Amino acid sequence: MKGSLRTRRFRDIAAAGLLSLAASAHAQSIEDLRDLSLDELASVNISSVSKSNQALADAPAAIFVITHDDIVRSGATTLPEVLRLAPNLYVAQNSASGYTITARGLSGNPGFVNFTNKLLVLIDGRSVYSPFYSGVFWDMQDTLPDDTERIEVVSGPGATLWGANAFSGVINIITRRSGETQGLLVAGDAGARERSGELRYGGRFGGNLTARLYLRGLNRDATLTGPGTSAHDRWWRIQSGFRLDWTPSERDALTLQGDLMNGRIDGLNAGDTLTRNRNLLARWTRTQTDGGAFEVQAYFDRSGRDILQNGGRFWINSYDLYVQHNNAVGAKDDFVWGGGIRASRLDTVGNATVYMLPPKRTLLLANVFAQYGWGFARGAKLTLGVKLEKDPYVGTSLLPTARLAWKPGDAFLLWSSVSRAVRSPTPFDRDVVEARNGVPLLVGGANFRTEKLTAFEAGTRIQAASNAAFSLSAYYNLYDDLKALEITPVTTIPLYWANAIKGHAYGVEAWGDISLTRWWKLRAGLTLLHEQFRFKPGASGFLGANQVGNDPPRQATLSSAFNLGRHVSIDANLRYVGTLPRPVVPSYYELGGRIGWRVNDQLQLSVSGMNLLHKWHQELPASVATQVPRSILAGLKWRI
Amino acid sequence: MANIGPSIALFALLAAAQGSAARGAQPIEYAVKASYLYKFAPFVQWPQTAFETPTAPLSICIAGSDPFGPALVEAVRGQRVNGHPIVVRHVEAVRSGLACQILFVGGEESGGALQAVAHEPTLTVTDHNKSGAGGMIQFVMVAGRVRFSIDQAAAQGSGIAISSKLLGLAVSVNR
Repeated sequence: MKGSLRTRRFRDIAAAGLLSLAASAHAQSIEDLRDLSLDELASVNISSVSKSNQALADAPAAIFVITHDDIVRSGATTLPEVLRLAPNLYVAQNSASGYTITARGLSGNPGFVNFTNKLLVLIDGRSVYSPFYSGVFWDMQDTLPDDTERIEVVSGPGATLWGANAFSGVINIITRRSGETQGLLVAGDAGARERSGELRYGGRFGGNLTARLYLRGLNRDATLTGPGTSAHDRWWRIQSGFRLDWTPSERDALTLQGDLMNGRIDGLNAGDTLTRNRNLLARWTRTQTDGGAFEVQAYFDRSGRDILQNGGRFWINSYDLYVQHNNAVGAKDDFVWGGGIRASRLDTVGNATVYMLPPKRTLLLANVFAQYGWGFARGAKLTLGVKLEKDPYVGTSLLPTARLAWKPGDAFLLWSSVSRAVRSPTPFDRDVVEARNGVPLLVGGANFRTEKLTAFEAGTRIQAASNAAFSLSAYYNLYDDLKALEITPVTTIPLYWANAIKGHAYGVEAWGDISLTRWWKLRAGLTLLHEQFRFKPGASGFLGANQVGNDPPRQATLSSAFNLGRHVSIDANLRYVGTLPRPVVPSYYELGGRIGWRVNDQLQLSVSGMNLLHKWHQELPASVATQVPRSILAGLKWRI
Repeated sequence: MANIGPSIALFALLAAAQGSAARGAQPIEYAVKASYLYKFAPFVQWPQTAFETPTAPLSICIAGSDPFGPALVEAVRGQRVNGHPIVVRHVEAVRSGLACQILFVGGEESGGALQAVAHEPTLTVTDHNKSGAGGMIQFVMVAGRVRFSIDQAAAQGSGIAISSKLLGLAVSVNR
């Protein structure tokens, strides 16, 4: 349902707008293109660089794009580590395999059984947040860095287009078409704490059919719970997959892709966890002669986790279908509409302490949406959209948005928006039972409703010069019906989930790029966040209102991308994360980076590192997270 | 380029349509095309007859009006492919015997020029031409990128072998 085309007017334009800022900084003349490989040349975006389309300017959202180059040059080996490059995300590691990732706060507070659950994450149009609890199992998501085209990160709600879980932000991970990943690639990175390897082959069959196959494995050693004390959370994952792209005519494009993933996470007391995913996706797009397009996408996704020793496990089979039409009404106006349906079958086997009641559920999610962009004056566009979404528990939610963009010239954009988003209840909110010695301690809230957000945003993007671009966005979020643990009167237990908290948050996100020379580019980012929560009338006030998020009030990033001649690249990414308030985790600085040496067109060698500044450091409270290590890897990449 | 190629493609289509209506092709588009012209060379094998000596220059000929300007001449200065220095030449009228290893013919009226070198070991490059008379490599706009299709049959007919790397990067290949 969270498809790709449907979001075009908003997302792609936004992305293209940003990409144009990025691309124009480094590719404007033949001279600038001289050092690009043939592949790189093929991916230089002309339409955005040319800025010929006024609509490019209409990017009324806080969107940051992590490019293929950023990904490959960062040295990051997993998606969460790559996402640290986005200044508008908060990424914190809690074990060898686990991460908390969010935007604009509300990261949850695991000590209060409140998990991160307000992001929408898509990999090639497939939604990967789990319908079980609406959070993302980051240890089950992977793409080959070399095959990843870009990652679009939108902070702020995108519910009108994306749907119910696009509450705090949207992460859209996009892999390259198979025609762009041809030939054989063998790559590996190895260090004292982590090893990974990958194999990919891309081929062409006939004039208009391309395909690739890949295999990737990753293994990470255990983190620490205290000085010298292993957390016994060693992790490995192996994933394989394929992608077929077929263009039977100039107007039609078909994609078929799928992945198989198996992983295992050591566990000391509860036993090892097995993770598994299988998915298969098909998409057909027809471009119409008037510039409109019609897209149909269907996928199947089977995800499961299985805790070996204590017997808890679950499987979710999801079947998803969506259609979308974009009608290009002309240069000024645009219209997009669509709808989708997803059926998820949840099948759980509980144990004595945690189980679901009922253990099996079929969750139906359906939506229709429409959005109209009206260019009412020169350089000004008003976009109105609405989505009707029916969720499995509560009923139908209305998710409207209004966005205004003004671009008086090529170099300056001003935008603002007001929109509404919800997070719908999940089996984890409604059906869960946690028991001690047969006595229910915590139960799902029978009346738990959607969590609600009304967001006011404004921002600007400035192309200060051909080599410098800047983005600033500010937001004011009004929250209602946020999830909190509530107590049963008189008996206290069982605790249950209720919509007991309301509050507000405001903040600023800023980032900028500057190319000092053709071979040295700097980027800086800053986010400031202020959150204030309080209990609603009638709530017991149990556990404090901070249980919805233990978020850093400040974050900053500074990145440098440096080319030493044509063969050596040096990258460094410094990050600062402010003090977490409750429980307190001290602020910290960390550094990642990579030195790459292109020996020849076939062979590349590298040394990369993560968390270089500390041998061990703590990113989340010690009660719920382990210490993560410095990791240094030697890498080799060989193309044939 | 993206998995959501379709959506981007549509977007590019819009952009291209509006762009050409409004102001014609953009300079960056030609910068990319010019860069391709000399970056193709290492992936192309000409018959021995195409060069008089092992160190004879490899000529990139631009027919008719030159959309690239002096930047292309600058970009190839000092560059060599298999021992052949690359030179850029402008030819007003294409005829046989020009000894061009690569010939770019811009615009719509490429048919005559292509005919003139049809029996020579010349890699012909044109923009995508709907009427059908295109070069061995034709630039096409896909999703806002300059990509190309390859007429491998035509290249082989002139004794030119194109590497699988280049074929792999092509949007389509006519075998």
